Amino acid sequence: MDFPILSLLILVPMIGAVLTLVMGGGRQKSAKYVAAAFSAVTLVLALFVLFNSDSFSSMSESYEWIKTDFVSISFSLAVDGLSILMVFLTALLVFLVVVFSAEAEEVETDRPNYFHTLLLAMEVGLMGVYMASDYFLFYVMWEVTLIPMYFMISWYGGPRRHYAAIKFFIYTHVASLVMLIGIFAMGFKAAEVTGVVDFSFASIATVMHGVEEGFQALVFALLFFGFAVKMPAVPFHTWLPDAHTEAPTGGSVLLAGVMLKMGSYGIIRICLEALPLGASYWQWVIIAIGLVSIVYGAYACIAQKDLKKMVAFSSISHMGMVMLGIGCLSDAGITFAVFQMFAHGLITAILFMVCGMTGHKVGTREIPLLGGLAGKMPVYATFMMFAFMASLGLPGLVGFWGEFPVIFAFYEFIVANDMLWLLLFCMLSLMLTAGYYLWAMQRTLFGPETTKIDLSHAHDVSKTEFAAMAVLCVLVAFFGMWPDAALQFIEPYTDGLIDILGVI
Amino acid sequence: MIEYTWLIPFVPMLCFVLIGIFGQKTPEKGGYIAIAGAAISFALSGIIALEYLTGPDYPNVVVDSICWFHIGDLQLNLGYYVDGLTCMMMLFSSFISTLIFVYSVGYMGDQGGRKKRYYAEVSMFLSGMLGLIVSSNFLEMFIFWEVMGLCSYLLIGFWSFRHPEGDAASSNAASAAKKAFLVTRFGDVCLMGGLFVLLGAFGSLDFVDLFNPVNIQNVNPDTLTLGMLLCFGGVIGKSAQFPLHDWLPDAMAGPTTVSSLIHAATMVKAGVYLVARGFPLFVQNPDVMLFVGLIGGFTAFFTATMALNNMNIKRVLAYSTLSQLGYMILSLGAGGYLFALGMDSGNAALMAAGTAGFVAGCFHMMNHAFFKALLFMCSGSVIHAVGTEDMRLMGGLRKQMPITSITMLLGSLSIAGFPFFSGFWSKDLVIEAAFEAGDHNVLFMVLWVLAIVTAFMTAFYMFRMWFMTFMGEKGKNTLHAAEHGHGESPKSMTAPLCILAVFAVVSGFFIMFGLDGMLSFTELPGGFFQVGGGHSEGFEYFSELFTNPYTYLTIVLALVGIYIAYLMYAKKKINPGRFNREGESVLYKVLTKRWGFPDLYNQLSWKLGYGIARGVDYVDRQVVDGTVNGLSGAVVGGGEAVSRVQTGDVHDYSSVVLLGIAVLAVLFIVIAKIMGGI
Amino acid sequence: MIPFEFFLVLAAILFVIGAYGVMTKSNAIIVLMCIELMLNAANINFVAFGAYNSDVMGQAFVVMSISVAAAEVAVGIAILLNAYKLRKTTELTDAELTSLRW
Repeated sequence: MDFPILSLLILVPMIGAVLTLVMGGGRQKSAKYVAAAFSAVTLVLALFVLFNSDSFSSMSESYEWIKTDFVSISFSLAVDGLSILMVFLTALLVFLVVVFSAEAEEVETDRPNYFHTLLLAMEVGLMGVYMASDYFLFYVMWEVTLIPMYFMISWYGGPRRHYAAIKFFIYTHVASLVMLIGIFAMGFKAAEVTGVVDFSFASIATVMHGVEEGFQALVFALLFFGFAVKMPAVPFHTWLPDAHTEAPTGGSVLLAGVMLKMGSYGIIRICLEALPLGASYWQWVIIAIGLVSIVYGAYACIAQKDLKKMVAFSSISHMGMVMLGIGCLSDAGITFAVFQMFAHGLITAILFMVCGMTGHKVGTREIPLLGGLAGKMPVYATFMMFAFMASLGLPGLVGFWGEFPVIFAFYEFIVANDMLWLLLFCMLSLMLTAGYYLWAMQRTLFGPETTKIDLSHAHDVSKTEFAAMAVLCVLVAFFGMWPDAALQFIEPYTDGLIDILGVI
Repeated sequence: MIEYTWLIPFVPMLCFVLIGIFGQKTPEKGGYIAIAGAAISFALSGIIALEYLTGPDYPNVVVDSICWFHIGDLQLNLGYYVDGLTCMMMLFSSFISTLIFVYSVGYMGDQGGRKKRYYAEVSMFLSGMLGLIVSSNFLEMFIFWEVMGLCSYLLIGFWSFRHPEGDAASSNAASAAKKAFLVTRFGDVCLMGGLFVLLGAFGSLDFVDLFNPVNIQNVNPDTLTLGMLLCFGGVIGKSAQFPLHDWLPDAMAGPTTVSSLIHAATMVKAGVYLVARGFPLFVQNPDVMLFVGLIGGFTAFFTATMALNNMNIKRVLAYSTLSQLGYMILSLGAGGYLFALGMDSGNAALMAAGTAGFVAGCFHMMNHAFFKALLFMCSGSVIHAVGTEDMRLMGGLRKQMPITSITMLLGSLSIAGFPFFSGFWSKDLVIEAAFEAGDHNVLFMVLWVLAIVTAFMTAFYMFRMWFMTFMGEKGKNTLHAAEHGHGESPKSMTAPLCILAVFAVVSGFFIMFGLDGMLSFTELPGGFFQVGGGHSEGFEYFSELFTNPYTYLTIVLALVGIYIAYLMYAKKKINPGRFNREGESVLYKVLTKRWGFPDLYNQLSWKLGYGIARGVDYVDRQVVDGTVNGLSGAVVGGGEAVSRVQTGDVHDYSSVVLLGIAVLAVLFIVIAKIMGGI
Repeated sequence: MIPFEFFLVLAAILFVIGAYGVMTKSNAIIVLMCIELMLNAANINFVAFGAYNSDVMGQAFVVMSISVAAAEVAVGIAILLNAYKLRKTTELTDAELTSLRW
């Protein structure tokens, strides 16, 4: 294809970001329209790519960036079955967040144009991460996502926003530096063979496949640490609840919806693709971290009093499911781990929208202070119930297809290894997930209407909020009824990946 | 027509969507749409059942499916599976649901805008049940199974906010709904585990593949046993068997129509249906069937005890449902046990006895659906009139509510096993199945005794309920209702009662007209299994039952139970307080506390759930986050210490720089000397 | 011909004088002049090594360095003049000037 559509996916939001940035003064209020327009165009482009899955290979672009005798870095983009879902999710969520926040108070009052600048800048970084096919570009984009998120938390966040923002920044930055060491190690190791430090995915992967297990395991550990913090996996997770509690609603949606997936995306894209021996070396560690995350996150949810914090911990639990699927290193496991990433992106977006709304509309997110909201705000209650049900894995909605097959893949793995009792942890987590969601729902939506807070100003969902959430709900139901719509992208990719892993 | 079987669950689902979108604008807020949907499903079921049963394929199963998606190399399908069992299930489910929806128009008439939610949810509920019935594989079944779980949660919690009776009732409904969902979820998780085992072992979840003897031979028997036990865990949750039975009485917090739907047409029948559907796999191991029978028989007895002294009309019915479900499971267990033994030894007579047990279980499920729907709707009619569920406040309603009282009497006679009423036939067949199995395992003999005792208790508590409600002195609320002219319920409510009463009386005779042949479970030559196409015994059941001395035992016990209830609650000749020291005896208190099960659930969930959660939260805050904060504190502290070097005096800086350069230069020279460079 | 070492010694003496001034003098103008001295010491070295190796690059760098030094002095003096206007002093240790730090 001659048309540089992938570059446009990065360029369009970038232009939008610059435009909203300069829209100071009296034009601040109209920044949201600009942002909506640019994110809509990006979404259309992403959809165009999605529906032309046959010509993925002809879409890839590569421009020389830094080229000397010793170093070769290129600005190269490509999409495949793994990345296109994430690209679509990013474009969709950014657009919906713009729509959703159109009337949000915290954004309206304080420099609204910067909020949209940050959103679009984040989109640039996320698109870059998901489409990069050069380690250097990948790393640069990885860092690009970090900065707008930092400012989003520290400018538009809650009362402890500075603490949370710094914590988020330092945590993920340290992790990405470790990751950078891993990338350099791979680059220089590859240079020993090829003579040039070439950071493109393909050339490094080719060399890495021939490298001995010890080196692969070492580099895998470095990279894995970087990605696991981002996912986040227990015990590197504590930045997430704080960041979520303090972040504005739109920020939380993007943070949980697509930024966490950068971690799991990186594990699959880099760790598995380039370092198959390392993956098999650390397989049990991956599985252990995944299992611990699932159960630990689920238990932590039960004890939370802040609705948003609870949902944040549930993200940890569900991303643990992704980790578990990856850890199986099997076709089914990885395919549905990717599907779970996608499913969790959709569901968690609704979850954070709902929880954010609780804070704005009712005035508090403390579960013990709430009660009986279903009578007062029926539409809100319906959305909350839908999101909770989707998240606890109700069959027929998308969340179930992230859970059931992943656990099945895990079952096959443990049967092969005679460790059947490990299945108990998965079953326990399913039980706990239902428990904390239903308990939270019982205390917030049902029972007598709360008298502990003033509900007289609480009003139901606004039109823009409704639109954003309704779109997501429809998608959750659609992909739940017809998972093949997403699986058709993932399966060809995992087939290829399994061939690589089969080299072991 | 049969290729349109998928329409049966689809129509109510469509109604759910329609009501959800347009319901508020239509008359009765979508009530008529829901009724139409259920009626269409019933009509379709009728046509398809007729076509199948008279068609050339019968008794072979008709199955068709399309590929849905793949897990790795395994293919998962969507499809339908029609055999004799399917026909019976879908007929009575859709029929009773139609009647319940009609009844709802009267019963829920005063609920205003909430009716839309009600009708949407019951439509989805029905869709879940019908979908489960026609599913062609376990995964599809599981999906509808969970959809029903969701609907039961929503409907039990229908009044979980803004309850007409106030805040306490709202909280109660909310917690009952949560309990129902979580307890059944526990079973569902087990079932999911069972599905993993089966999927792993067979590489497919299609019934056609699972029931194929070649595939069964290739599977490790221990794996299969584990899988079936886990699946039965799902049954225990959904069909409310011991020890997961306690959600069902609480589920009475929902509207009575919902209780009726849950108890008669949908939800709890799903578990029994799962056992019947998975029978070819269950019978592979007699021990599994023994376990099934034990759970069922014990549940039947255990839950009947709690109905003996309950004062809430709906709770009594709930316990009776539990007890009757126990009968069904017991019958399937006993039948399956015999069948399994027969298969091991090649004994055709044993297998025939096993088939009889299977037929009895399914037959009782159908009869129970009729009379339990009737009983619940009658109790709803009573509650509608007197505005309370406490039977002590009722009494003497016979004159005020003639239709309700008579139909409820018919229902009660039926469930009590009064001769020639429907419950009599199926219950005696169940008891007979247990007795037959008792010949081969003494445990079934014990269960048989329990079943007989349960039959006596059933007769007693059902008539205790009927007498307390309709006979005796007029209670407080009866008088109150009479003052306000609350008499018999409207036609939309009594009409379904009359129709159901007819079925509750006569449905037992269905078995004389070929129902047993349609439900017979047999092993064909070559090891395949088939439901339907068996020999129908017709009127031989008469001679069979009435030549059996134990039949007379149960009849006498039932009559004695009714008579004692009559003496205690209608004639008031015997004071029930004599037996329980006026409610002070230990047994009485234990029964009112439901054998301590609610407390046990609470303790378990509180300790294993919240207790550990608090611990995890503490670890998270103090240990994990504490380490992080400690590290960052150390870095900041170290930085502050080092920052004292920054005096801000340019002279100091330049001195340090020069000194550094000098040191470096010296070092450089020394190194160069050592290396021999200069 | 003047021996090569003489240049180096001269440069070293100039450099040490400059360094001594920077470290001990508290008048900002004198410090600035001392920095010039150190720079010029380096320049002498450049020229000397350039001539010694018959490499013209040495002189080229000196020209470069002198022009940079001129710019630096211009900026430095400008800052000092402004500081003097505001605080009426050019003493580096004076509290009036150190309070400009943050």
